[in-house]
Amino acid sequence: MSRNLLASIVIVAALILQVTVANRLPLPGSVVPDLVLLAVVALALVNGSLSGLVTGFCAGLATDIVPPADHTIGRYALVYCLIGYLCGSVSAEMDRAPLLPFVTVAAGALAGSVLYAVVGAMLGDPRARWPVVSHVLPLQVFYDIVASPFVVWIVLRLTSRAERPRDSAGLDPVPGFYRAR
Amino acid sequence: MNDTRRTRAVLGVLLLVSLAMITVDYRGGDHSPLSALRGFGEAIFGPIEHGATAVVSPVAGAFHTFTGAPGAHRRITRLERENARLRQQLRTGQIDKKRADELNNLLGTSGRGGYRIVPAEVISSGQGLEDTVSLDVGSGNGVRPNMTVLSGDGLVGRVTRVGPTTSTVMLATDAASSIGGRLEGSEEIGVVQGAGRRGGSALKFQLLDSTVVMVPGQRIVSFGSEGDRPYVPGVPIGTISRIEKTSGSLTRTALVRPFVHFTSLDVVGVVVAAPKRNPRDSVLPPSPSPSPSSPPPPPSTPPSAPPPPAQAGTSAPPKSRPAPSPTPRG
Repeated sequence: MSRNLLASIVIVAALILQVTVANRLPLPGSVVPDLVLLAVVALALVNGSLSGLVTGFCAGLATDIVPPADHTIGRYALVYCLIGYLCGSVSAEMDRAPLLPFVTVAAGALAGSVLYAVVGAMLGDPRARWPVVSHVLPLQVFYDIVASPFVVWIVLRLTSRAERPRDSAGLDPVPGFYRAR
Repeated sequence: MNDTRRTRAVLGVLLLVSLAMITVDYRGGDHSPLSALRGFGEAIFGPIEHGATAVVSPVAGAFHTFTGAPGAHRRITRLERENARLRQQLRTGQIDKKRADELNNLLGTSGRGGYRIVPAEVISSGQGLEDTVSLDVGSGNGVRPNMTVLSGDGLVGRVTRVGPTTSTVMLATDAASSIGGRLEGSEEIGVVQGAGRRGGSALKFQLLDSTVVMVPGQRIVSFGSEGDRPYVPGVPIGTISRIEKTSGSLTRTALVRPFVHFTSLDVVGVVVAAPKRNPRDSVLPPSPSPSPSSPPPPPSTPPSAPPPPAQAGTSAPPKSRPAPSPTPRG
């Protein structure tokens, strides 16, 4: 399975899960983890910055047009594209620091939520007013960090499985993957 | 690292594309050229969401079971008691049923506001800061933009976009939503504004006349828009829970607890035809304070247990249906 196909499957699955399940969960504070952002971060960490930013752009555009969306088209595309680029740029360090994925996910979640709110505020979106954003932001980052191990693990697992026919020596998914690259 | 320049070039191009899309869509508003893109999204993702909801609803149900477990036992006892009471009522009520049906026909539209609705199910929910849901009905079911959406409990929101098989609803709690509201039993009108469900607070009601006294417990119904779009009159919105005192402000603000539980929306109804005359306060459930248990409720005000919205459509007498009737869903 090619890397691009895998990335698109992961993004579509994350998006559908996000709108049909995650957004309807009655979690405390009525805030939910952003699975699409987590998937973009994880894919960028695995595939590097170029593929990360393209993945981010496509995922963002899909999030902008998926049915219940009611905001200006391009907002998520802009944010996820940047996040994909930034998280992809640290992907070379990943086999050296085992905790890096989780730090990156936390930083990416915070940066993504802030950036989205800032773009909304610049467009005069009433939903991005300070009282709402200040309530949502800490909870959003917290839930993202809680959900991140699962998403990152799934993405790493899928990529290692997809790459294994070419690189049979890869027991550990991440270093094996990097040798293959 | 030999592809850094290429990466930067692609990043620059894609960021420019996003900014251009934001600009075009923002300037275009409702008639933006990019709405074709949204239509594409609806056509592609709508059916997927339909299918996904059918698959994953047991998962969500299981989650609800876990989170609701502490209260579930109490609820079961309460429901059992209510069930016994209702069964008893039913036995006595069967004799009166025929007469009640005739009465219902006679009373016509006043029955339950006389809204004609298309029942729908919530299939997905909006992301980030927005409070929107999509329904499993679309233009094929007679749904058009700017129609009111209600549930058995009260006002849910309004339809903002309609695709072939799905439609997007902006909930009343969305921070971008503002609804004309009227205090129960008076002519005092104001604006009900959402504060964002994810903002964690209830609705806000601003009365236009600052001299009128509001008290907690008063209820608010929709005032109705011009031409009944986007909001039909008389739909219950919520109960005033607290009055905010802001000195120096020209208007008074009250916090309103909505009748609808926006976190657990499931079956709702889209109003495809407004009532012929304003139902005023008749759709509100009976006031809770004076004598809460009166076994045979008058036919014009059904008991507080909310019937599913489908009943409101089917129990409307055929003669009261307006001529240009969109096809009911089925």
